[in-house]
Amino acid sequence: MKRKVGIGMLLWALLITLSHIQLNLGWDTIWKKFAVMTGEQREELVIGFLPVT
Amino acid sequence: MTKHSDEGTLFSSKKFTDWPTVKEALISKEIGGVFILAPLAMQLVADGIPIKVVYLGHRDGTGIVVGKDSPINDFGDLRGKTVAIPSRYANQNILMHRMMDQWGMPYDSIDLREVPPPEHPTALRAGAIDAYIVGEPFAAKAEVDGFGRVLYHTKDIWPEFISCVMVVRQDLIDERRELVQEMIDGIAKSGKWLDEDMEHRMDAAEVTAKNYYFQPPELLKYVLSKPEDRVKYTNLAPMREDFDEIMELAFKIGVLSRRVAFKEYADDSFVRPLDQIDWNMDRLPRGEAAR
Repeated sequence: MKRKVGIGMLLWALLITLSHIQLNLGWDTIWKKFAVMTGEQREELVIGFLPVT
Repeated sequence: MTKHSDEGTLFSSKKFTDWPTVKEALISKEIGGVFILAPLAMQLVADGIPIKVVYLGHRDGTGIVVGKDSPINDFGDLRGKTVAIPSRYANQNILMHRMMDQWGMPYDSIDLREVPPPEHPTALRAGAIDAYIVGEPFAAKAEVDGFGRVLYHTKDIWPEFISCVMVVRQDLIDERRELVQEMIDGIAKSGKWLDEDMEHRMDAAEVTAKNYYFQPPELLKYVLSKPEDRVKYTNLAPMREDFDEIMELAFKIGVLSRRVAFKEYADDSFVRPLDQIDWNMDRLPRGEAAR
């Protein structure tokens, strides 16, 4: 019984964590950060503009 | 240069078409910074948005345009006329009020109407307005297309005029200072490169016309050369006295909800003399950045 509750809690925590990443961070952001950390991709800074001086 | 230059940080741009979306993109951290209207940057700070002005986009580069055969020959002739402005938060709006002060005209003597910049030339051509004040290339467009003439360039009525400023999110300044420094150094270098040789300006016109402005290259070449000091890309440090004047005028005419101190909305600590900046353009990641 204890084992079932433990596994259930772990799965629940995993589900909440994945949902948080999906909803609040986005997988693209995570992959980009990971790629920058591992040197596979250049760091990127996005600058906005309107096409008028 | 910073360690990021050696890594080759990629600075990419994102085009916006209206200011409210820019504000949302800053709040949601979709963008790290933006070229934005100077008084709007002050109002965003007054509204509690954590950003700082760290550099200028350019100096001058704005004109008051009237019809080619218009009887308007000086600012006084604009009395009772309808003039388009890009936004109430634009420094062009502040300039119109500054000029009305100088000419002893009450603020209601000119009907100022907010019109999106790309629509200024067509509104003038259609007779919907008598004049407009806007940043380039839309001032030059009426000249190049043959139906308008510049009544005043800002360089002649408010020298070293500030229109767009570079703002950056405060969290980037606090946590990624080297990244911001790298970007400011890059803008400074680009400006020096543009202002030192007319051929450089013509090259830049070709590239930016296709990739950023979506306008004919000839129009941008005109902007960058007729006259040569129509728009300038040096002297881009945010100077307290310039901004104090804009802020006081903006507050006086009700554009700003409260006075904002220079230190609240500006951080000039990234400005470095050009001779202290590594001036090696070949080190820039041109192939990647061009994509």
